[in-house]
Amino acid sequence: MKKSIILIACAAVLTACNPDTWNLDIVGMVSGSSPQIDKRIDDSFAYNAQHGMPVIAASAENYRVYVATDTHVDRTRTNWETFISDYRNDLSCPLAIHLGDLINAQNHWDYMKLPVDSIPANPLKKDTLLVVAGNHDIYFNQWGEYISRWKTSTYYAIVRTPSGKQDLYIFIDTAEGVLGTKQWAWLEQTLKWADTQSFRHIVVNTHTHLFKRDSSQGHTSNMPIEETYALLHMLQEHKVEMYWCGHDHSREISQLHNMTAIVVDALFDREPHPGYLVAEVGNEPISYKFVNLTSN
Amino acid sequence: MNKRFTLIVLMAVWLMMPAMAQVQYGTDQYSVRMSLGYNHNTTYGHYGSVAIGAFMPINPHFEMQADMFFSFQNTHALGVQVRPKFAVPVGEIYLEGRMLAGLYARDGFNDLTQAIAVGYRMEYVSFQLGMSTRLIMETPYDWHSTSNIIVEPFNLTYRLEVFVRPKVSPWNISMCISNMTDYQIERVWQPIFMANGRYNIDEHWQVNLSALCKPTGMFHLNAKYYAAEVRGGFAYNF
Repeated sequence: MKKSIILIACAAVLTACNPDTWNLDIVGMVSGSSPQIDKRIDDSFAYNAQHGMPVIAASAENYRVYVATDTHVDRTRTNWETFISDYRNDLSCPLAIHLGDLINAQNHWDYMKLPVDSIPANPLKKDTLLVVAGNHDIYFNQWGEYISRWKTSTYYAIVRTPSGKQDLYIFIDTAEGVLGTKQWAWLEQTLKWADTQSFRHIVVNTHTHLFKRDSSQGHTSNMPIEETYALLHMLQEHKVEMYWCGHDHSREISQLHNMTAIVVDALFDREPHPGYLVAEVGNEPISYKFVNLTSN
Repeated sequence: MNKRFTLIVLMAVWLMMPAMAQVQYGTDQYSVRMSLGYNHNTTYGHYGSVAIGAFMPINPHFEMQADMFFSFQNTHALGVQVRPKFAVPVGEIYLEGRMLAGLYARDGFNDLTQAIAVGYRMEYVSFQLGMSTRLIMETPYDWHSTSNIIVEPFNLTYRLEVFVRPKVSPWNISMCISNMTDYQIERVWQPIFMANGRYNIDEHWQVNLSALCKPTGMFHLNAKYYAAEVRGGFAYNF
């Protein structure tokens, strides 16, 4: 019996080392292989300090934001290509967002990023794709791969309309299911600063969802209870209008007092009901619709 | 506000009623216990807490437990557990029903968790498996709508505890993994690792020490430390 348990444990660990046979980094159950959040924040902040935060110009007062998550690109990327093509051909879309789990496991970074670099945009417009890391993006010690391509995972972006109105999009790294001390302080400081800036809308984007409202998540996890409530309190106190996230793979809308939390459908090709979200941003509260794609 | 305060006080008094009668889980005596805790998590930082509890073995087939937890972060919990139990040739099987109110006043959230479980305990091992449902409510409540109540309808609960000594021993140490303590019920993927110890000074007084560690991200497969607690106190067995 004892030998059997040891054998099974060894097999699980060894299997976890080979993403082609098993795409979960089981060793991460004990200790994550990428640097922990406080170190990752240092990397993100170093890039932010050097390059500043993105400022995106919208061509009209009302514009659209396309939001995808959990593409888990591995052998195929059909839905991901569809999403890129869709937002690049929407003249009203200056901003697209990916909420993490860009890839499923290692060795797929270039394959995932290729359509971003190669699918042409409509020549009449400019757009920007912003991303945040998910748990799959840092498995197997892949933080270095992520940061070399996407540069940062904790930052904010401002979309500026022709009349000078501004919308704030904050990105936080919850790839471990927790914000960590440094990121918490940064988020609080950023939201306090936002209070003084008269933003039209404030949206927080991250990977990990807040609640366990159904069993669609399988083995994926949320933040601890204390962190969930404290985060919700802070976001609402600073008038965050929406919290967009993924991780759960299944659409979910939670209405809180002053904020709407949305779990966006996964865009993973093998997902039974893949899809993405399109938000209409203007002078009214943000509205949104879901776009359903077909499973591949 | 006054109505809410009155309700909380009445609930607290009701929860403490078993303590006025009297005991402690796994023994046959009524007891009350009190402990002080040092707590830390990466959200709140460092803080202290006080826990008060009572154990009441009503008869050989039924026991109750009540717990109150107050933290200096203005997060509190009130819980009641009832356990019908049945002796089997080795050990005993029990059913457990729990109600746990989490009062996260610092963040304007309250939750109410109901849990049922079936358990089996022997001298050296105790095992429990069940499910829970949580209602999450933001304060102030909107009494005219249910749209602000978040329901987490199903969550798996579990507890495995291994003791180094038999129950009748004057001292004991146990190691435990569970997603529950007496004053919190976490989601299934948020295990809490605990070490508990007790020493019976005499037939009435008992010293309790415990420590717990709550990592996060285990099922993100990116595990990281999240919270810890060291707790010490005493119990009086009647």
